[in-house]
Amino acid sequence: MSGLPDNPDRQWTPSTQSELQRFVADNASGQKTPLYPVGGRTSLGLGYPRTAPGVTICMSGLKRTVDYPARDMTITVEPGLTLAELANQLAVERQQLPIDVPLAHRASVGGAVAKNIAGPRRFGYGTLRDYLIGVTAIDGQGRMFHAGGRVVKNVAGYDLCKLLVGSLGSLALISQLTFKLKPLPESAGTLVMGFSSFSAIDEALERLLTSAARPVALEVLNPMAARQVATESKLPLSVDTPLLMLRVEGTEREVECQLTTLQDELRHHSPTKTGVLSADDSARLLEVLSEYRVSSDDPLTFKANLLPSKAMQFAEWATQSGIAVQVHAGNGIVIGHLPDNVTSAPQIEGRIESLRSFARQRRGNLVILNCDSQWKRDLPLFGEPEPGWPLMERVKATLDPQNLLNPGIFLYGR
Amino acid sequence: MSGPSPPAAVSKELLDRLEGIVGRDGLICDLQELIVYECDGYVIEKKAPDVVVLPTSTEQIVEIVKVCNQYDVPFLPRGAGTSLAGGCLPVGGGVMIAVTRMRGILEVNLRDRYAVVEPGLVNVQLTQHLKGTGFHYAPDPSSQGACTIGGNVATNSGGPHTLKYGVTVNHVLGIEAVLPDGSLVELGGPSEDSPGYDLTGLFVGSEGTFGICTKVTVRLTRDPAAYRTMLAVFESVSDATNAISNIIGAGIVPAALEMMDQGIVEAVEGAFHFGFPLDAAAVVLIEVDGLDVVVEDEACQIIEICNQAGAREVRKANSPEERQLLWKCRKQAFGAIGRLSPSYCTQDGVVPRTRLPEILEFITQCASRHDIRIVNVFHAGDGNIHPILLFDERDAEQVQRVLHASDEILTKCLELGGSVTGEHGIGVEKISFMDKLFTTTDLEVMEGIRNVFNPDGRCSPHKLLPSAGACGMEHIEQSHPGRRAAL
Repeated sequence: MSGLPDNPDRQWTPSTQSELQRFVADNASGQKTPLYPVGGRTSLGLGYPRTAPGVTICMSGLKRTVDYPARDMTITVEPGLTLAELANQLAVERQQLPIDVPLAHRASVGGAVAKNIAGPRRFGYGTLRDYLIGVTAIDGQGRMFHAGGRVVKNVAGYDLCKLLVGSLGSLALISQLTFKLKPLPESAGTLVMGFSSFSAIDEALERLLTSAARPVALEVLNPMAARQVATESKLPLSVDTPLLMLRVEGTEREVECQLTTLQDELRHHSPTKTGVLSADDSARLLEVLSEYRVSSDDPLTFKANLLPSKAMQFAEWATQSGIAVQVHAGNGIVIGHLPDNVTSAPQIEGRIESLRSFARQRRGNLVILNCDSQWKRDLPLFGEPEPGWPLMERVKATLDPQNLLNPGIFLYGR
Repeated sequence: MSGPSPPAAVSKELLDRLEGIVGRDGLICDLQELIVYECDGYVIEKKAPDVVVLPTSTEQIVEIVKVCNQYDVPFLPRGAGTSLAGGCLPVGGGVMIAVTRMRGILEVNLRDRYAVVEPGLVNVQLTQHLKGTGFHYAPDPSSQGACTIGGNVATNSGGPHTLKYGVTVNHVLGIEAVLPDGSLVELGGPSEDSPGYDLTGLFVGSEGTFGICTKVTVRLTRDPAAYRTMLAVFESVSDATNAISNIIGAGIVPAALEMMDQGIVEAVEGAFHFGFPLDAAAVVLIEVDGLDVVVEDEACQIIEICNQAGAREVRKANSPEERQLLWKCRKQAFGAIGRLSPSYCTQDGVVPRTRLPEILEFITQCASRHDIRIVNVFHAGDGNIHPILLFDERDAEQVQRVLHASDEILTKCLELGGSVTGEHGIGVEKISFMDKLFTTTDLEVMEGIRNVFNPDGRCSPHKLLPSAGACGMEHIEQSHPGRRAAL
């Protein structure tokens, strides 16, 4: 059964947090209409489709910067602010929220948190759960609650910030967020190396475990993905072998020093090609790598998570099946695009099942980031159920007992 | 529900059942021995548990919890008992489940950068085990020589390195826990991004109110390539806080930024003779870590900034031994306090870093208003203050003044936009502040979440969230502390 189409008349854009809270509370006691919060609409592919009509709540009206005490290295904003606008404000103070979010000019802060978006720099910087220190949110009952605070060190109360990161807007609508920040590095550089095989890359990755350098991203692309990235970025990347790309950041001297160190360390692993990208080219590459997960006419995009030591095996196997993959190699995250010769539901199911099983055996799982809506109902979008899922359903039931917030979007899809 | 009623003295039958699970030497029910467990680092309130059990396996803990449920008896976990907020205080009595015998390192995987440990493992022992591998376990609270990983999970422990490295929750990938109904659940795991809500993150810092963790999967962190460690001596607290502010403003994130005031310096100097000037108003330990070329540069900048802020002198460690020595003065500060006073209470508050001068000024005034002595050591980088209130616990009137002063300081922290606890937790000590920090709705939401895990309230009752009917000021009103369970 496919999702019902949006009724474009039933959209609403709150302009204040209290307006939003009143609406949700009234709805919970009155109409009990399903509510579908959206931000920049850049990651709506993730999650089970709607099966009931409701109200689309456009969070883009809530986009104030509430407080930015730069010397405290925290910022408090409303969820509709775009990542690009946030980055611009922070750059003035030479600070950043070091999370790679695709389509930053449209993507909203609230959406990024709800979907727990992350990209290449997660290796060096962590993910949004490591940066969200305070939140105001409105649950399905219309209760506006707060958790955390404005300070980076705070253990008062339960850590509901963690609960809301990656919750797909199914527990509460986030109406205000406080992040801790990092300094913005002066410069960056990327070492790009071709290797003859994934196992050669794996050996290089093992060497890098104790590198004297500290790259912030360890990216691997198979040739198919390398071609796509090269085309998109217009950078001269070699595309006939798997690629390992190491991003370093810091002062110019630090960047140069690390690039030299990395080349020295990996020289003996027989790279077939070596190149260094300038700061500007590195920025361009990072943008394209961040957007790889959404760059798609392909029938299905998945994200596998597994032990990093097994990621190259997975990449090898996926490559043999014609899947283009990007690997955040230090974190064991594989983004894959199924080729467009896979067209039927049984084919897709079979393919996904074997990939998922591979990941499962290596302590991981597999989530579908996006696919044709006709297939969504037939696929376990969030992988094999994890042991904690029943407990999670009870958490959902306590915050949204009437199942009004993005009903059925997550976990089992019901 | 505020908890099972009535508060129980455990029956002989229950003791027999428990003995059947853990064996005779896994059970402590002799009154003399139970006194050891009557309080943790928060000595102002004492209550002995009815029995202490020392399980050696997850299966035993499952059985213990089931038995407690059958007999409707409260229970709570305990690690090393280093909590400074009464986290291990068995309010209402019941069964204390001490996990200290479960202290194994079950798995270390350097390639995938994780380790799986038992909750009773002493924090520093994990890092010691990793020595030479190029990795360590980052969260290093000052009590790390005694505190346990399980306890760190319960309180989301911090320490001096949190500004750069984060707190415990940033380093926990997964938890196995016995829920209050006796069921066993695995949350998260060694790979990242396990699909689902982040219950691992929610569990960390839940202070034993969600269940008892029996295994923890932790992230391992690369050892830094190099360190530069400095100690800057200032004539005034405001000079020191200016310097700190400017260091952060320069885009440097020190690995540690620890400040000690004159009172602490006096104690430390008396105990260890480091050669610190006794008239310095503030001493700041600053450490940067990272690539050698970077830290060298940052150290130069820091020394320059400190001098511009009016530092009397800046000492720099030129060898690992000198570095250890500079750190010793910070790490042993608490040990030295015994020279100043028979008892002390370490408070734990947070303010935004930029408000540090105000809170420190307030603390000085507060001390004089209540006629008590307060010395300060704190994590200046993240605004986490630890005023240490000195007293003699035999002087009941002085104890009251200490409690009043303590409350005033925490209230001021809130006023300045901070929190009442940066790392020690709410425990029992700060339950009265929860309604100042959070709205009724906030507390209702939290209670709802707690009820998902702990619906009958038997596990760690009367912790963290205010109980129905409690007025919140018990700890001041009672002259003979021993918190009664709210009924």
